[in-house]
Amino acid sequence: MEFIDYYKVLGVDKKASESEIKKAYRKLARKYHPDLNPDDAGSEIKFKQINEAHEVLSDREKRKKYDKYGKDWQHAEEFEKARKARGSRGGPESGEPFGGYTYSGGDQHDFSDFFESMFGGFRGEGQSTGRGFRGADLRAGLELDLRDVYETHKRTLTVGGKNIRITIPAGIEDGQTIRIRGYGGQGRNGGPDGDLYITFALRNSTPFRREGPNLYRTVEIPLTTAVLGGTITVETFDGKAKMKVRPLTQNDTRVKLKGKGFPVYKKEGRFGDLVLTYQVTLPEKLTDQQRQLFEELKKTNL
Amino acid sequence: MTKETYILLRDFCEGHCLDEKFVYELQEVELVRIEKVGEAPAIPPDELQVLERMVRLHRDLDIGPQGLRAVQQLLDRMDHLQQEILELRRKVRRYE
Repeated sequence: MEFIDYYKVLGVDKKASESEIKKAYRKLARKYHPDLNPDDAGSEIKFKQINEAHEVLSDREKRKKYDKYGKDWQHAEEFEKARKARGSRGGPESGEPFGGYTYSGGDQHDFSDFFESMFGGFRGEGQSTGRGFRGADLRAGLELDLRDVYETHKRTLTVGGKNIRITIPAGIEDGQTIRIRGYGGQGRNGGPDGDLYITFALRNSTPFRREGPNLYRTVEIPLTTAVLGGTITVETFDGKAKMKVRPLTQNDTRVKLKGKGFPVYKKEGRFGDLVLTYQVTLPEKLTDQQRQLFEELKKTNL
Repeated sequence: MTKETYILLRDFCEGHCLDEKFVYELQEVELVRIEKVGEAPAIPPDELQVLERMVRLHRDLDIGPQGLRAVQQLLDRMDHLQQEILELRRKVRRYE
């Protein structure tokens, strides 16, 4: 367990007055409060550190104790003796690498193992900790391939040590968050359990670009097909389609294949469109015969 | 039908060491809805998330009901803008 410099956490001098400590705490708490920084796990950790530093430095007795042991922390023998005399509070003790802020609990206001070892588990007055009703909301991320969300499927996730089987509806978006009611932290004092929020990150290694339920793809067509027309076979997301190319098709012509796009989220059986953009391929090499034919065409002022 | 857990206002305030007046003030600025269970005022379960957030902000940052209303409004706006950023990001990706 590593020594935590609470003065450094609050950015105050060791001789800081009570009001200076309070002012520094309020300023940092406003900046890092988890309710003002949703989706930012970094802020939550920072807020815990600030809270803890304030808990110690704003309490005369705790500050005195902290200053006393803090000075000789490198030896820490006295601290160890004091800790042993008080008795262990359980949890892993030895063999742990020094890690600074390590937390045993999961509450927004919980304290580091360093704090718990020095001051025990009691909390100061005026804290809302432990008095709430609704369980904490949990957040998790899930990375999937675009192909995985083409069809509705079930998946088992492990969140907070619990296995949860969830249904992932087809057509979910990259960055979309779904709420699973009641799968967050346990409610207290008869309150409801919190919710679990899962945010999806979708990898796309396909040649298709997606926007909502529509898919986009660029298809190369030979020069002669573009000029004379013909038939090409294109790959759709889940198969192949034969396409007629009209004579004198221009570069960047867009063609829509209705219903060949991506599933519409939570609208079973409905699909978006696939939009193809034709890119005419110009030859990079010509045979003598082809060159001759182009020369002939040139003479016609094409 | 799923069972809904209402928390009596009295229990909620006792649990949070709060004056009931504070929750009524939050109701006045339309941050929370208080319902009656029989004769007793109670907090519907879907109101608890916002209400407990407001209590935390009130405690930790010393913000009053009017300030909390403004905070909630900005948080809603932030959420809306976040959604818009996500949508625009998806749109941009189409051209990358």
